Amino acid sequence: MHFAGLHEEEIVGKAYDRRLLARFLGYVRPYRWQATLSLLLLGPMAAARLAQPWILKLAIDNHIVTGRMAGLPLLALYYLLMLIAESLLTFAEVYLLQNIGQRVMFDLRLELFDRMQRLPTRFFDRTPTGSLVTRLTSDVEVLGEMFAAGIVSVVGDMLVLAGIVGIMLWMNWQLSLVTFSVLPLLLWVTFTFRIRMRTAYRQVRARLAGLNAFLAECLGGMAVVQMFNRQRHEEKEFRRLNASYRDANLPVITWDASLYALVETLSSVAVGLIVWYGGGEILRGALTFGALVAFIQYIEKFFSPIRDLSAKYSVMQGAMAALERIFTLLDQEREDTAGTRVEPVGRTTTSAVAAGPVQSIEFRDVWFAYSGDDYVLKGFNLTIRRGEKIALVGETGGGKTTVTRLLSRLYDPGRGSILLNGTDIREMPLPDLRRRIGVVLQDPYLFTGSLAYNIALDDEEARRRTERAAVTVGADRFIERLPGRFDEEIRERGSNLSVGERQLVSFARAVAFDPEILVLDEATASVDSASERLIQEGINRLMAGRTSLVVAHRLSTVRDADRIVVVHRGEKAEEGTHDELMIRKGLYYRLHQLQFRD
Amino acid sequence: MFVPWLLKLAVDAFQHPRPDGHPPSFYALLIMGAAAGQGIVRILSRTVLLNTSREIEYLIRNDLFARVVTLDQLSLARERTGDIISRFSNDLTNVRMLMGFGILSTINTVIIYLAAVFLMCRISPLLTLYAVLPFPIMILIVKRISAAMFHRSRRAQEELARISSQVEENASAAAVIRAYCREEAQSRRFREAGEHYLKSNLAIARLRGLMMPVMAGSGGAGALIVLFIGGSRVIAGTLTLGDFVAFNGYLAMLVWPSIIMGWILNLMQRGAASMSRLNHILEARPAVTEPADPIRPEAIRGEIEFRNLSFAYDSLPVLDGISLTVSPGMKVGITGPVGSGKSTLMKLAGRLLPVRDGQLFIDGTEINRIPLADLRNAIGFVPQESFLFSRSLRDNIAYGREDASEETVATAARLARLDGDIERFPDGYDTLVGERGVTLSGGQRQRAAIARALAKDPSILLLDDPLSAVDARTEEEILAGLAGFHGDRTVLVVSNRISALQGCDLIVVLDAGKIAEQGTHDELLARNGQYAAICREQQLRAEIEAL
Repeated sequence: MHFAGLHEEEIVGKAYDRRLLARFLGYVRPYRWQATLSLLLLGPMAAARLAQPWILKLAIDNHIVTGRMAGLPLLALYYLLMLIAESLLTFAEVYLLQNIGQRVMFDLRLELFDRMQRLPTRFFDRTPTGSLVTRLTSDVEVLGEMFAAGIVSVVGDMLVLAGIVGIMLWMNWQLSLVTFSVLPLLLWVTFTFRIRMRTAYRQVRARLAGLNAFLAECLGGMAVVQMFNRQRHEEKEFRRLNASYRDANLPVITWDASLYALVETLSSVAVGLIVWYGGGEILRGALTFGALVAFIQYIEKFFSPIRDLSAKYSVMQGAMAALERIFTLLDQEREDTAGTRVEPVGRTTTSAVAAGPVQSIEFRDVWFAYSGDDYVLKGFNLTIRRGEKIALVGETGGGKTTVTRLLSRLYDPGRGSILLNGTDIREMPLPDLRRRIGVVLQDPYLFTGSLAYNIALDDEEARRRTERAAVTVGADRFIERLPGRFDEEIRERGSNLSVGERQLVSFARAVAFDPEILVLDEATASVDSASERLIQEGINRLMAGRTSLVVAHRLSTVRDADRIVVVHRGEKAEEGTHDELMIRKGLYYRLHQLQFRD
Repeated sequence: MFVPWLLKLAVDAFQHPRPDGHPPSFYALLIMGAAAGQGIVRILSRTVLLNTSREIEYLIRNDLFARVVTLDQLSLARERTGDIISRFSNDLTNVRMLMGFGILSTINTVIIYLAAVFLMCRISPLLTLYAVLPFPIMILIVKRISAAMFHRSRRAQEELARISSQVEENASAAAVIRAYCREEAQSRRFREAGEHYLKSNLAIARLRGLMMPVMAGSGGAGALIVLFIGGSRVIAGTLTLGDFVAFNGYLAMLVWPSIIMGWILNLMQRGAASMSRLNHILEARPAVTEPADPIRPEAIRGEIEFRNLSFAYDSLPVLDGISLTVSPGMKVGITGPVGSGKSTLMKLAGRLLPVRDGQLFIDGTEINRIPLADLRNAIGFVPQESFLFSRSLRDNIAYGREDASEETVATAARLARLDGDIERFPDGYDTLVGERGVTLSGGQRQRAAIARALAKDPSILLLDDPLSAVDARTEEEILAGLAGFHGDRTVLVVSNRISALQGCDLIVVLDAGKIAEQGTHDELLARNGQYAAICREQQLRAEIEAL
């Protein structure tokens, strides 16, 4: 075993935990008054709890042993009051803590969501959606567990423990010392067991992770497993991993059971010690019966929080791990600050650009790679003037779609720049830029929610234009046929609409936002001829009177374009009208034969 | 259980000391002895019961896995992988908790209750009745509260699911949301969902807050009754001080088990719900089963006959009346547009999907009557997504034959043109694939999958678009290597590349689940139909590439 290594890891872990906690406390800040109140409540709560055995002592000494009935009902009343006080305080405390916890979780979740929306698109290329969902759900939930399992109540427990020690010492310090002689043993037991259990837990977690990874892999490759007749073999391997997981649990169970039993036993031993020494004292008249009974009750109250300390500890460990993952996501660079800022090429001020209508768009020597040196665009140049319809054509993988993505700054070019009215778009506030551009993606994304929501996406102005937009692109015809019309609920990913209908909804969306520039990535998916006609009409209406940039797969879109740009291997290969390019008999001519065969 | 009783004896002895009585040390030692005994019993009972629950968990998990490996592609497609994994983990945990802690706590509670009440009755039946009175009420209240909590939690769970689907949607639609600047509106929607969830959780917090005082309160109420009534009785002399102390002790012992009772009732509900989810898998009936009346072929030669074969995923028809006879040793190329049924045809030939009786024959034998192991041993299968396991390359290539020699593995790798790549890896054949090892390129993965199929030395080779991620030159090399290997094997290859198809004895063009054309390369070109069109298209493409 690498004891030194383990030790080192632990020290580093602790320092890091402190930093995590400090940062987490920042989230509790808005609720500091509630938090302070919850801490203040701990005092009276401990007092109410500690008073009960004391009242019992008074009852025994002053009434029960001496036989004085008068005054006993009053003590019983006090006892009842303390009980009620303890109950109410506990309720207030639990509710207060949970309230803070839930609100902190809520805030944290919103912050995570906001941050997620500001992340560069690149981030989503390499992060599976599932792990983001986990960050915002399970990981945040674990923090809630920290509040629910009463990490804060540990402070209250400490207070109670201290109070018990104080009262016992004050009542009879000799008897207290005798009783507390079990404490060193108790400390030693909890400490050693905790270390053993932590090592064992780590093993359990590692093996469970291995087991689940194996399961996930087998589920994913079941066709291969079956075709290669390996069911038996995989089953054997699974059994082995499963058994090793089970066996890793056994020491945990043994340690846990032993810890629990030992703490219980030690508590009884302490009671034994009280009887031993206290009994002698009583016989000598140096101790009252009430004090003896109170001592026994105090010692029982002393041991009960210690019993579930290990459970609280493991909750805490889980919360720390979750916090670490959450903060890692929060520390991701935002898209509006990410990437290299270049010196502005034009001298126009940003506000002037934002105010004026779009006159020109220029791609100037743009280079771009999704990863490493694998350039998709290699020195791409293109100028688009106001009101022009530009069609981008070329082989798949040539870089057409990338051009449109760069324009709306879903990605930033590696080299070169894109200028809008002469200003680098990286110098413009993102919303200013994106507001001007209406994007229709190849695969239209529909949200769960009403049809109207899918067109206006909760935008005030777009909402007013919803119905007109639907009419403009010709979506009204199918919408009229839906039972709920604009209120029709769209299922996950629009699965209750046809491909063509989905396209029309996304066209209507673009029109409703009334953008100056239209960016359209035509769908390549083959659809039935009825949908095809719908889509084609929609596109024509969509483009009417707008500056548009279309990744074209359809003959008519290309024919109607003011200019056709052939993108080949990341560069602009040819440029001109349909007739010009057909006469040239170059790349476009061949592409035309290939893609637009009738 | 004995400690309060011993306390009673001790207190009584101290109150009325007799010269022949035992010294305090006697009682103290008895108490410690009882405690030690109790400790040992506790350790043993907990260890035994909890270990048993782990053992049960282990057995159920094995059974679950054994069932899952028999499920066919059709059944698997209906379940989400995440859902199956959650059954293996969350649901199984619930069942284990019921088996372990549930049973342990139930036994514990019953013993403590019986013993405490019995011993308390020995002291004073009437006082016992008074003292225990609050407990049933408390159990009832706890049960009510936990039922309400269960209900609320279910709602909260649904709201959490809404939150997670919103996150999922937001991440998948990142491009749309950014393009339309809808970030703030999205945040608003998310905030709304979050607020609902917050409200539900605060309601749960209130209930949870209520639980604690109710539990503490009823324990305390019992103590209050004992203090008042019991105290008066001690004064009246009908009860000794020792009885009074013991009573208090037993009462304290009853509080915790009563609390646990409410909790166990919940645990049972959850455990039962989870068990029914596990049964869903344990009782799942795969559509592809071993033949009841098997015919074991001596050796499969590789004749395949599709006789009016049709197939539909649920209600979506994919293949419609395919009739085709492939004699042993024949090479058949299959092509056609996306969704025309090519992959389904391959999966049916390996019975990864259920085949209706009388539609598919291997060596003249009904495919459903050939034992699955015999059938699949004869087939080398290269799936469309070249799935590799995160193990060493050697293990991956020798996947179908555990006894494969170094030479077999090396030959297979050479035929699939993977040997050069393997030599460049520092660990050679021991290179780990996947997360913990080397990330292979798409082409390397495909070649490894081919090597895996070849190492089996099958009589039928099913290649489902095996070279889509391989560049043209490597493809040619692999095809040449395979041509030598094919020999008298039957080969069915799906591809959209003419280069992979033109050497085949027969080319089948599928369209919308039907055979649109079939014939040799030359025949089909002469026909000037779909195949010829695809050929022309690819020639043009090649010309453009060359520019």
